[in-house]
Amino acid sequence: MDKRQQQLADLQQHLQLLGEQFAQRLREELPQLADKAAQLQLAADPSEQLQHLGELREQLHKLAGSAGTFGFAELGQRARELELQTQQWLSSLQLQQQGLQAFVQELQQLASSHEQPATANPVAPTSSGLSKAPRSESAYRIYILEDQAKVGETIRLTLNTFGYQARHFLTTAELDTALAEQLPDALIVDVNLGNSQQTGLDYAEALQKRLEEPLPLLVITTQNDFHTQLQAARIGAMGFFSKPVDVAKLESRLERCFAQQNGEPYRVLIVDDDRDLSSRYSLVLRGADMLVEVVNDPQQLFEAMGRFNPEVLLLDVNMPDCSGPELAQMVRFNDDWLRVPIIYLSAETDIARQMSALIKAGDDFVTKPISDNSLIATVFARAQRARLLSTALARDSLTGLLKHADIKEQVVIEQERAQRNGKPASVVMLDIDHFKQVNDSHGHAIGDNVIRALANLLRQRLRRIDSLGRYGGEEFMAVLPDCSGEQALRIIDEIRQQFSAIRFAGEHSEFSVSLSAGIACAQGQSPDALMEQADRALYLAKHSGRNQVRLAS
Amino acid sequence: MPELKRILHVEDDPSIQAVARVALEAVGGFQVLSCCCGQDALDQVQGFAPDFILLDVMMPGMDGPQTLEKLRQLVDIGQIPVAFMTAKVQPSEIEHYRSLGARDVIIKPFDPMQLATQIRAIWSQAHG
Repeated sequence: MDKRQQQLADLQQHLQLLGEQFAQRLREELPQLADKAAQLQLAADPSEQLQHLGELREQLHKLAGSAGTFGFAELGQRARELELQTQQWLSSLQLQQQGLQAFVQELQQLASSHEQPATANPVAPTSSGLSKAPRSESAYRIYILEDQAKVGETIRLTLNTFGYQARHFLTTAELDTALAEQLPDALIVDVNLGNSQQTGLDYAEALQKRLEEPLPLLVITTQNDFHTQLQAARIGAMGFFSKPVDVAKLESRLERCFAQQNGEPYRVLIVDDDRDLSSRYSLVLRGADMLVEVVNDPQQLFEAMGRFNPEVLLLDVNMPDCSGPELAQMVRFNDDWLRVPIIYLSAETDIARQMSALIKAGDDFVTKPISDNSLIATVFARAQRARLLSTALARDSLTGLLKHADIKEQVVIEQERAQRNGKPASVVMLDIDHFKQVNDSHGHAIGDNVIRALANLLRQRLRRIDSLGRYGGEEFMAVLPDCSGEQALRIIDEIRQQFSAIRFAGEHSEFSVSLSAGIACAQGQSPDALMEQADRALYLAKHSGRNQVRLAS
Repeated sequence: MPELKRILHVEDDPSIQAVARVALEAVGGFQVLSCCCGQDALDQVQGFAPDFILLDVMMPGMDGPQTLEKLRQLVDIGQIPVAFMTAKVQPSEIEHYRSLGARDVIIKPFDPMQLATQIRAIWSQAHG
């Protein structure tokens, strides 16, 4: 890295630090702002109201002016709108109770959406281990609109066993009341709402239009026709499920929605000899929450790729020593980087020449001058696709968990770590009881749903530091660092009970399934011995009547 | 054209003060004195002898325009360009600030990477 790049990196780091401090300030100030707005509603006389309003306007104005500088552009925009609202009230000297209600809610929502640090921090291991439900404080809120009480309740209960906080509403009026209090993280609607004229889709469509940001939406229906699916797609539905609803599938889709929202930032590497342009692109992409690194000298590309491991590569076509397409071909020499999409940046508008560059290597073109939005959109689309593919290849395709060899690798790593730091680590082997019968009587597709459901349940209930793998057909393995055998026994037994409570939709009837598990705690034995102990404990659980968890003695 | 080195920045919000300082010192290579309010600026302006003054519009107590009015009595703003910073963007308001003697208005939120460039542009127009 030359001096200038180093300075730029230091600067970016400094700016990021300031951004984090600002985020911290937001976490303190936004709730205060929301409180102040709530006081407005309680204020007895107009002069008191005016004073509160004036203070609110001043603070919102500040926020509108500052948030964008620290990368919170949307917050700044919303603060600006709220500021204008206070301005209007102040100049008309008239406060409408209804408008005020919405105003207070908006502020409360802003406050709650900034409760967490903006960047996802990995969960640090805690000494309390698994004693409490990992998700309970930050459970995703799911609202379900379903006029059939039984169907709605089944979905609600099942989602709750998966660790969500689901609420069920029979009518749009009930849902409206709940939405006014608090917005959910996702919404599930039934298309047919009894004898109501308005369908669930019409309702969701109107709702999405009212919201600043549309909610993740899943649709359930008995009407599986093209027209209904089209309407669902048009209002941004992320899933479409025919009744009777397979709740495990529904849950797996929800899981995917949230995984997309909370993913790590995309890593983008830019190669361009023009320093000003490349730092401009870098700034734009960073503004869209991506991690960006810039290489001005093509010779440093491979070193940077090895170190930074980009998910997307942006290559300038015309550089003095070698061209973008030449570099792209060189990148493709290495099998490890086959998955990295390559986008050319070029002033080239000649289609034929673009084509010839693409045929050599590379995936897409953006033509200079590039608008910020088209740059972000192109990079984002490629990065998203690349990550989906890469996850699909590295993980078990059915469950999204680690594969056999990788989970065994985790046992080795955690066993070594436990030995080093003197903390316990537990290994769990789980097996679905009588799984063959499920396949035989309901078919493999439904058997797969059962496997996926257990995978999702485990993912929901275990911590982020835990590793989870699909060990064999219906066999799973989990490695729980910093967790004693007794703690592991408690949490796995809770999962066992929850799993057996899930109702699956079978070919002709609903059914439920149980699991057995064996646990061994690392106490200086080799990784192989550890796994064997867990396996023996599982064997014991199976032979003592199944549907139970055993701890190796 | 004289060289732009010293910038007096008047801003009551500590977060903005800090980020502007980084943007002007690290990116622009300027020397910056941050003041937390109008009175602070009036007390320090002659000692610091800035080449350029950057003034937030909305501050508690003495606001930006009021501060400018008082600054004019202390220094020659014909020689020391003054720019306002504000979140409001109505063209009529910009005209209004110009009529008060400001050279230009920098719109908030500003991009920390671009702030120095914006100020240089105002500087060269003032001395061009």
